[in-house]
Amino acid sequence: MSLLWKSAPILKNLVKYVPAATRVQKIHRWVAPTLMELKRREDKLGGKITNPRNTFLEWNLEAELFAFGKRLNEEFDSDLLLQAFTDRSYVIKEEMKQKEIEFNIKMKDNKELAEEGEKFIEQYIQVYLETVLPKFPLEGISGIKAHLTCEETLANISLHLGTKDIILASEYPVDNYILAKTFKAIVGALLRSAGEERAAHFVRDFVITQLQGKDINEYWKIEDPWIMLVDILEKDGIKIEPRLIGEVGKNTLLACYRVGLYVDKKLFSSGFGETVSSAKEVAALEALKKIFGTEDSMAPINFKLQGIQKTVSKQHKQISAS
Amino acid sequence: MSAVKRAQQWATFARTWHIFDCKWQDPYESANVIKKYLMGLHKPIYHPMNDCGDVVVCINSREIALRGDEWRQRAYFHHTGYPGGATWTLAWELHNKDPTMIIKKAVYRAMKGNLQRRHTMERLFIYPGEVIPEEVKQNITNQIRQIRLVPTRLDHIPEEEVQKYPKVMDYPEDYVLK
Amino acid sequence: MSNSNLFLKSGFVRAPLQNGVGRYVCQLQRIVLKFCKSHGGSRGLRDFIEQDLVDFASNNPGVVVYLKPRRHRSPVVVAEYLNGDRVWMNMHNKTHSEITKWIEVLRTQQGDIASTRLRKYQYTDYPSVQGPWTPFTFKDPKLNVAELPNEEFGANNRLPMSATEQLRIMFEKQTLDVKPQEE
Repeated sequence: MSLLWKSAPILKNLVKYVPAATRVQKIHRWVAPTLMELKRREDKLGGKITNPRNTFLEWNLEAELFAFGKRLNEEFDSDLLLQAFTDRSYVIKEEMKQKEIEFNIKMKDNKELAEEGEKFIEQYIQVYLETVLPKFPLEGISGIKAHLTCEETLANISLHLGTKDIILASEYPVDNYILAKTFKAIVGALLRSAGEERAAHFVRDFVITQLQGKDINEYWKIEDPWIMLVDILEKDGIKIEPRLIGEVGKNTLLACYRVGLYVDKKLFSSGFGETVSSAKEVAALEALKKIFGTEDSMAPINFKLQGIQKTVSKQHKQISAS
Repeated sequence: MSAVKRAQQWATFARTWHIFDCKWQDPYESANVIKKYLMGLHKPIYHPMNDCGDVVVCINSREIALRGDEWRQRAYFHHTGYPGGATWTLAWELHNKDPTMIIKKAVYRAMKGNLQRRHTMERLFIYPGEVIPEEVKQNITNQIRQIRLVPTRLDHIPEEEVQKYPKVMDYPEDYVLK
Repeated sequence: MSNSNLFLKSGFVRAPLQNGVGRYVCQLQRIVLKFCKSHGGSRGLRDFIEQDLVDFASNNPGVVVYLKPRRHRSPVVVAEYLNGDRVWMNMHNKTHSEITKWIEVLRTQQGDIASTRLRKYQYTDYPSVQGPWTPFTFKDPKLNVAELPNEEFGANNRLPMSATEQLRIMFEKQTLDVKPQEE
């Protein structure tokens, strides 16, 4: 089926011009066998060869770097930006080549920039999340931060910003680690060239917005929600009572129980489950979400906060001392 | 998927067990109501490919009430597949042989004639009297309302209500009824 | 129903990398204009390059423009997007104004949308505001403790009032009227 995909460009030449509303796909009977034969020959020679973009004739690194900065609406120092895109492996390869020619131009790699960028990203995300989710405890925030700063997420962001073609590395295609490192180096370069506030807005607009539409509670796995809930409410002296408020199909495999948690005889939260105990745990999770202000019906996270917020971490509770 | 989302989905697609008392009800009218619950048409999450039907337990199927002359006139056809294997059974004969068959055939007829029908019919349990197995009884969590009014027998009305009911006139004490 | 048009990739209505939520980033990465300097079919493209290209480049500094003058080749525009799509478009015998409009289309789309079949025309991250339906949502809590089958839940409650009931209510109303007068 993937072969037929590739025949699409060939088909565009074959199909006569017909208005889009009445176009009918006409595939000649020789198309599929031809493509299958081509694929067989390609695989024999070791797979499809894709050339990196910078080996094309139409390539101007300077123009690409300039456009990169302008596309993101940021002013970069051109040397720093080039340094941010140069990977250590590339520098090593260049030095080896230059040894043979005895030609010496020092190329800087992006290690320091990447470290600076990484530190700044972590700090800023921590501060931003603490401001935007005031009632969420610190373990939860570190869970979200770990997800946002993980290699996969940053590599995805950097891929969609167009760094894949510009990166100078020894191997093609570039792997996730180098993409993530380049992104951190770009943030470092922006920090050095344009200042903290612009770098903060950059991180906010590209990294933190990845939380849009996602459920924040998924990034913090709570082992014992009932015990945690009871601990939190004990500190304020509130008693909570679980009660079974609905069941369906008790003797079947698809049994479903609904447990409600009552505070002062008023329903606080309810949860469903396959067994009564699992329903109680889910009800406790829902109650915790309500306490932390991160329920499904919460107001969407504000992605428009300007500048760098001051930390008010005293308000944030740390659940476990260990 | 987080635990809460899984639990939410489990609850949304949970299968409820309904009970329906067929006493003095027309099987064909009740079949229209029962089929809705069996197919899942009463749920906002209905989709024909969704398998969202509920279980319905019918009790007192021996006490169903066919209309007018139907007990004597309605005939159920069956062919064994072999030559000369056609039988026409009248409703009262069928009911005597198996009191659950009439309502079962009525529900089968009310449903859409697609390949889902046989599978959906598996979800229908019919019991001729009030006796239900204990496991089935424990599963039941909802009751479907009947369609026809079941009139109370005059001698089944409690005494106090009879005394309280307003009378226009009453016979004198020494009146003798003939 | 089924994916009968196997040649089109299918997708949902999404913005790559949450584009508008933070800042807006123009998804067009680079545009390559290949034309012939003398052939008549490239006239429109040549006019575009002479008149509108510099304005285009200065208005969109984030797009890299490459020019490839090749003899005896038909005019072609290849647009490359940030999500990796390459859109190849033949501009042979197209007029200047047509080319301007097509370039505008290429500039504002977010990838090769012509080759993507939309599975649905809407997308939402929050399909339910009040919470998804469960069988418990509109259930009477009295059913939890009721012993089923129960007359209260089984009898039809939508029947019109019977004559017996009407008479009884008429009588009660009458007695209420009578009593105050007696007092």
